[in-house]
Amino acid sequence: MHDHNHECTCEDHGHSNPLVPTMVKVVKITDETPDVKTFYVTTEDGIPFKVMPGQLAMVSQLPVGEGMFSVSWQAEDHLQFAIKRVGLLTEALHEIEVGQTLGVRGPYGNGFPVDECKGKDMLFIGGGIGLAPLRSFIKYCFKHREDYGKITILYGSRTSADLCFKDELFDKWPKEKDTQVYVTIDNPEEGWDGHVGFVPAYLEELKPNPEGTIAVICGPPIMIKFCLQSLEKMGFNDEQVITTLEMRMKCGIGKCGRCNIGHEYICLDGPVFNLAQLKQLPPEW
Amino acid sequence: MKVLPSDKIREALNILAGEAKVYAPMVQGDASGYFQWSDNPVGELLLDTLNTYMSPKNIVMPQTEDMYKFVAQGKDAQVTEVVYAGGPRIIFGIRSCDLQALHDLDLVFLTKGYEDEFYKARRQDLAVIARACYQPGPACFCESMGVDRLNPQADVVMHDLGQQDFAWEPKTPKGEEITAKLQGILVEKDVTLPQAAEMKTKVDITGLSEKLAGMFEDPAWDELASRCMNCGVCTYVCPSCYCFDIQVTTRGDAGGRFRCWDSCMYKEYTQMAGGHNPREFKKERFRQRFLHKLQYFNERYNANLCIGCGRCVIMCPNSVNILEVITKLKEVRLDA
Repeated sequence: MHDHNHECTCEDHGHSNPLVPTMVKVVKITDETPDVKTFYVTTEDGIPFKVMPGQLAMVSQLPVGEGMFSVSWQAEDHLQFAIKRVGLLTEALHEIEVGQTLGVRGPYGNGFPVDECKGKDMLFIGGGIGLAPLRSFIKYCFKHREDYGKITILYGSRTSADLCFKDELFDKWPKEKDTQVYVTIDNPEEGWDGHVGFVPAYLEELKPNPEGTIAVICGPPIMIKFCLQSLEKMGFNDEQVITTLEMRMKCGIGKCGRCNIGHEYICLDGPVFNLAQLKQLPPEW
Repeated sequence: MKVLPSDKIREALNILAGEAKVYAPMVQGDASGYFQWSDNPVGELLLDTLNTYMSPKNIVMPQTEDMYKFVAQGKDAQVTEVVYAGGPRIIFGIRSCDLQALHDLDLVFLTKGYEDEFYKARRQDLAVIARACYQPGPACFCESMGVDRLNPQADVVMHDLGQQDFAWEPKTPKGEEITAKLQGILVEKDVTLPQAAEMKTKVDITGLSEKLAGMFEDPAWDELASRCMNCGVCTYVCPSCYCFDIQVTTRGDAGGRFRCWDSCMYKEYTQMAGGHNPREFKKERFRQRFLHKLQYFNERYNANLCIGCGRCVIMCPNSVNILEVITKLKEVRLDA
């Protein structure tokens, strides 16, 4: 799935120089959780570049800094980034208002294997802000609903307030055809009558059938590790399990060095890998 | 054969500097490196040593390099200029090892999906006048790293004839063009090329990359890394270390993004917002550097990233020696 076209021209990437940002306007900001906001950005001519689910883009707020984020949805006329406040740049981003100009460059990375998953049942497993990259694939499946089988979404966060994309989780997605949405939070809470417990434990309870199913996992490293073990126990083979890796990134085009795991560069060869591919890499993720 | 006589070298450099930025091995104060030549150069020409302290990588990859300028004011921001440092350049006197490193940089910056436009601007009009190496030093081991030290792949190859006279051998059309410009300088002479002295420092890296693929978690790394202080000097003097950071500078509403050399020896290099760091400890960073040099690059580009110039061996303040590291890694017995 990773023999992406290395012969692409710079024009395909929206800018003649892949390291220079295109300016976009923030047209809408929504609060997802106390520390996650979604930013809707666009140019006068529409989206700054085409993005496939799971691909990355470098978002910069001049002059503060730039950081790599997964695109949480590519609409017809704008891109969405769900961004958690964790550091200097994201602190600054959380202060901006509609109308702010930002820079974006990309798209970077391989993205999810949307074509190879056609005809499969899809099992999406997310934790916390990990739903942001998954959402691009989930919404893609709904947009091309006839291409995919049953869709199961398992998502958890620490508290109910930390659940991202609540209207989709509780309202829109459960209404989609052949779709099950399971939501859990780590600890009991007053007013919460849903499931309580960690995502991997809930996964073992649900016992998804591996036959004809592709599992896509995204979340904190510890959640990913336990889910991988659970899926293996349930009989998922290494090609049926997909996840995304995260490293510090600067260039986005496999040159600046820091995001390597072994000889793979996460910004270029990743961020999406199946378990078979991960097992070929040194255990540095 | 054409000969560049020692007493004409400065004149030759002056002529070439009239048409291109010329970089030559020079001493500036305590430092030596490849600096820009002019008819009134800063520093002294340095032709009687092997390798300069600093490698010539700064010619295609300056320590800091402007990328673009911007103006940011309130809610508005725009890129006002993308900075390309194009134009003809000539590098004079580069050694075979350093030239091999330049070819490694080309693989990184010009292949695998994206061309780096900033690098390309500096690289595409670069002509190379290389110097074959007949008298290697004790820290030199380029032959072990596959470098053909007597036949560098350059536009012109110079051969030491003693007393700093050089036999001059154009190898490409670009080399012929440069030769034509030096018509009044080069003299025709019967010469005998010198006998090449043996390179005494050797290490056999056959099968090393393959072996290292199974050694990521080997306990040998603990001991090997123990002396390293993560100072990063090895990465700065290395002609093929290419990692860079992107940073920003501002003055009022105006600013610019630039990139600068970075180093895998530093914790911040892989430190993520939110706290996670996959290479938080010294051993992990040390292992990254050596596996990158001896395994990962070979796997990705099918080339050696260490080119055996010996700078890191000479410059390390705590005597970490890549030859010793290789020897010890080879001695480790792996369970079948």
